[in-house]
Amino acid sequence: MSEVARFLPVLLRGVGTTLLLLVGALGTGFLLGIPVGVLHVFAPWPVRVFLRVLDLVLRGFPAIVLLFLFYFGLGSIEGIHLSSLQAAILALGLRSAAYQGQLVRGAIGMVEPGQLGAARALGMPLGKALRLIVFPQAIRFALPGLANEYSVVLKDTALAFTVGVVELMSRAKFLAASTRQLTLVYLLVAFIYWCLTQAGLLAFLTAERRTRIPGLGTGPRRPR
Amino acid sequence: MTGWGSVLSGLMDGLSITLRLVAASIPLGLVLGAATALIRVYAPPPFRFAAAAYQSAIRGVPLVVQLFILYYVLPRSGLLLSPFAAAVIGFGICSGAYHSEYIRSAISSIPPGQMEAARALGMSRTTAVRAIILPQAARRAVPGCGNEVVYLVKYSSLAYLVTLVDLAGAGRLQAYASFRFFEVFLIVGLIYLVMVAVVQSGLLLLQHHWRRSTVGARR
Repeated sequence: MSEVARFLPVLLRGVGTTLLLLVGALGTGFLLGIPVGVLHVFAPWPVRVFLRVLDLVLRGFPAIVLLFLFYFGLGSIEGIHLSSLQAAILALGLRSAAYQGQLVRGAIGMVEPGQLGAARALGMPLGKALRLIVFPQAIRFALPGLANEYSVVLKDTALAFTVGVVELMSRAKFLAASTRQLTLVYLLVAFIYWCLTQAGLLAFLTAERRTRIPGLGTGPRRPR
Repeated sequence: MTGWGSVLSGLMDGLSITLRLVAASIPLGLVLGAATALIRVYAPPPFRFAAAAYQSAIRGVPLVVQLFILYYVLPRSGLLLSPFAAAVIGFGICSGAYHSEYIRSAISSIPPGQMEAARALGMSRTTAVRAIILPQAARRAVPGCGNEVVYLVKYSSLAYLVTLVDLAGAGRLQAYASFRFFEVFLIVGLIYLVMVAVVQSGLLLLQHHWRRSTVGARR
């Protein structure tokens, strides 16, 4: 038990960096994902084709390969200097933007298209109609998908140690190597990740319940 | 500095390990997933609870941590796994937990009247599940489980963290050997992309085939 008390503070300092990665990547993904999702639906075809190609790369490459590409790959190009934390947030953030863009696209598709038509017929500009009519409903449809994305990104942050970010996993490796208490350290780490996952999913479920509108359904739930 | 010839041949060696890993983990994951789903739907409560605990534990913990536990922690209790075995078991256990959720919801989506009808005709529960429920549920689970297989292909890249020189691991070695980091990782990513595309088109063919031959398939 005294070992748990000794290890926990070290690991919890890593949790801070893990949460920074998580918030950075999810935030980047959300801010870019909304315009990307809108463009997927409404942009002229050359833009859509370009986004589709980008999407293919960001969603088709394994997370770890994207991390290598952004840290070692971009880092080897003259004039680009990214710290490992910046590279990891960028790689995981752009990857999440691709996934969240698809979520937003799907959620926009779930809103009855007649509503947008009616808003336009009443003289609303497209941007205003999207903002006032489509988004408030679409975000509700997207919530289960966003919860899933939270869980995926959280678990992907555990790969950031491969490019040198000192987060939870990296501290665990260090602790395990220096104390030789591998069993305790890794079980503790597993438990911490599990708690973080459950806490986030609970928060999303609460958000879903709070914003629910009777009669309006929810989006598809995925088990990732 | 090594030339492109040796870079590519190194990557091909890695690719063959990746393919073997994926080929071994897919069936393991599907079997575990189906078993867990059946337990969650049909078994008595204590087993159901155990299955749910397995799903929650795996889904809440990053795959790296699971692999480290299998490869570094288990030997401490006397169970020594080769890197390949640790990776396959880790991938199988992990993807089984996700598969089971898709399969469980596919089973639950079959109207309960079908089981009652099968029982009324004198079928045992086991026969009814095997002959009536599972064939339909399998078709409905294809899109979700297919997605999971795609994830498995991509996350097989974590095998290099338990010292296997798979495609991702070979990419790292070759990038350092040739100092062409950007190009090598781009090629590695594109190879994964091709594998993903192959799996996805295979799944589309399977769905198309099943949709044509029966009712009950769902996109």
